[in-house]
Amino acid sequence: MILHPSVLALVGSALLVGALLVYSAYWGARIVESWDLSSGSELQLALERRTHLISTLLGYVLVFGLASLFLFVFTADSLAPLFTGAMCAAGSLHASRFGYPTLLLQIVGFALASIWLVVNRADSLGYDYPLVRFKYRFLLGLTPVLLAEMVLRAAYFLDLQPEVITSCCGSLFGAGGRGFGSDLAGLSPSLAGGAFVGLLVGAFGAGVVFRFSGRGGWLLGGLSLLLLPVGLGAVVSWLSPYVYELPTHHCPFCLLQGEYHWIGYPLYGALLGGSVTGAGVGVLMPFRSIPSLAGELPAYQRRLAGWSVALLAILGILVAGIVSSSELRLH
Amino acid sequence: MFHQGRPDELVAVDGVSLRLEDAKVTVLRGPSGSGKTSLLALIGCMARPTSGRIHVGEREVTSLPEHFLTQVRRRTFGFVFQQFHLVRGLTALENVMLPAYPLGGSRKALTARAQVLLDRFGVGGRSRARADWLSGGEAQRVAIARALVNDPQVVVADEPTAHLDSKLSVGFMDLVAALRGEGRTVVIASHDPIVHDSAIVDRVVTMRDGCIVGEGP
Repeated sequence: MILHPSVLALVGSALLVGALLVYSAYWGARIVESWDLSSGSELQLALERRTHLISTLLGYVLVFGLASLFLFVFTADSLAPLFTGAMCAAGSLHASRFGYPTLLLQIVGFALASIWLVVNRADSLGYDYPLVRFKYRFLLGLTPVLLAEMVLRAAYFLDLQPEVITSCCGSLFGAGGRGFGSDLAGLSPSLAGGAFVGLLVGAFGAGVVFRFSGRGGWLLGGLSLLLLPVGLGAVVSWLSPYVYELPTHHCPFCLLQGEYHWIGYPLYGALLGGSVTGAGVGVLMPFRSIPSLAGELPAYQRRLAGWSVALLAILGILVAGIVSSSELRLH
Repeated sequence: MFHQGRPDELVAVDGVSLRLEDAKVTVLRGPSGSGKTSLLALIGCMARPTSGRIHVGEREVTSLPEHFLTQVRRRTFGFVFQQFHLVRGLTALENVMLPAYPLGGSRKALTARAQVLLDRFGVGGRSRARADWLSGGEAQRVAIARALVNDPQVVVADEPTAHLDSKLSVGFMDLVAALRGEGRTVVIASHDPIVHDSAIVDRVVTMRDGCIVGEGP
């Protein structure tokens, strides 16, 4: 294990967040099992108090979990000089077999945790805990994913050895290589770029329509959900060469370096944020008919759509800026 | 129940079932430690029970999330505390205006409303006086004005005459009669005979050891 401050912070936070998640999941299971709002029993009233505690607790814990995705990638990037052959986070993550699975689970966990926070917020809008069972069933599904990610994260950092010879991003994300990264890099840029831009414009348009008319929530949710994986793929196969002005360089991590003005952070932040807020609108659609939510939920969805539109606009501006300012032209 | 599961566990109110009628004056009577204040806190949505439910009108309130309960408490109840709990350093007028701040609205209109209430209770001339300069009787009237600033349907008073002489206590009951005359519900916890023997009281509920042991007009 490498005793780097960020590594210690990430491992320590994994332990803390994991413990709080297990505690919350335990009470979540009890709430799913025993919740009965019509009862005035001691247990029911204790569960009502407990759900306030857990909601508050998880609100902070999961927000920290979202931030830890960026801290994880930043840490992997800053560890690169310690490994022979590594030029950025791509090599650091490749230095252990746990690196890329951790990253993948972090992205999945980010999306799911964001949706949970959206549902949790929606639940608090109703006076009668309208989504309490759904919320805690969701939590019971989310907890193993997040715990697995934390275990993998700890395993990754514990497994790292400085003397390991790893691969650089050029070989991991080279179009002619083998592996998932190379497969992504080998996608047709026009196809990946076209799909990404099409989805981005579609999600943005659906977001604007929903923001101002309240219609098309399902469409916005679906397009936003698709945008996340397609966008991440398109960054590798289509957008990154524009940043590097090199048609053979497809690394999604060099974007996070100062040499490229840390453009990856706002780019990925806008993509992740815009996607999950838009997807959140869709996730909440089935609950609009619940009487205690009928007044507040549509307004909340519109606010979410507003955030999605704003973040997707930033993403669009960044993408347009990267492509138009690059000397590279892909045909 | 306080400190549940600990060595100092205390059952303050136990097995109470009570229905309070609109526009009536109800007094909770009983010795110190009988559970009057705890029951008053439950009625006024200032505390949650360990088990059991409380309804305000048609609405069940004990299950409400805190921000909903706060709205019910703020709009439905006005409180007069035993020690009055006026904020020292603020003027009488500012004290009366204080519970209305979270509701927003025009400051000018609120100031006028608070002044009208102080005038009504005979302390309008002391509106600019700081709370710590007020006499006991004045402080009590300011506290009542403060309880009414949000125009609550229910006024809850905890031992309101505990620090008043007999004349002022009788005066307080006159004010309670006026509140009842406006159609407000008044609930008072008190072991002061001037309060529970008053002719304007519609109902006296006697408590002991957290339980209701008697009721009468």
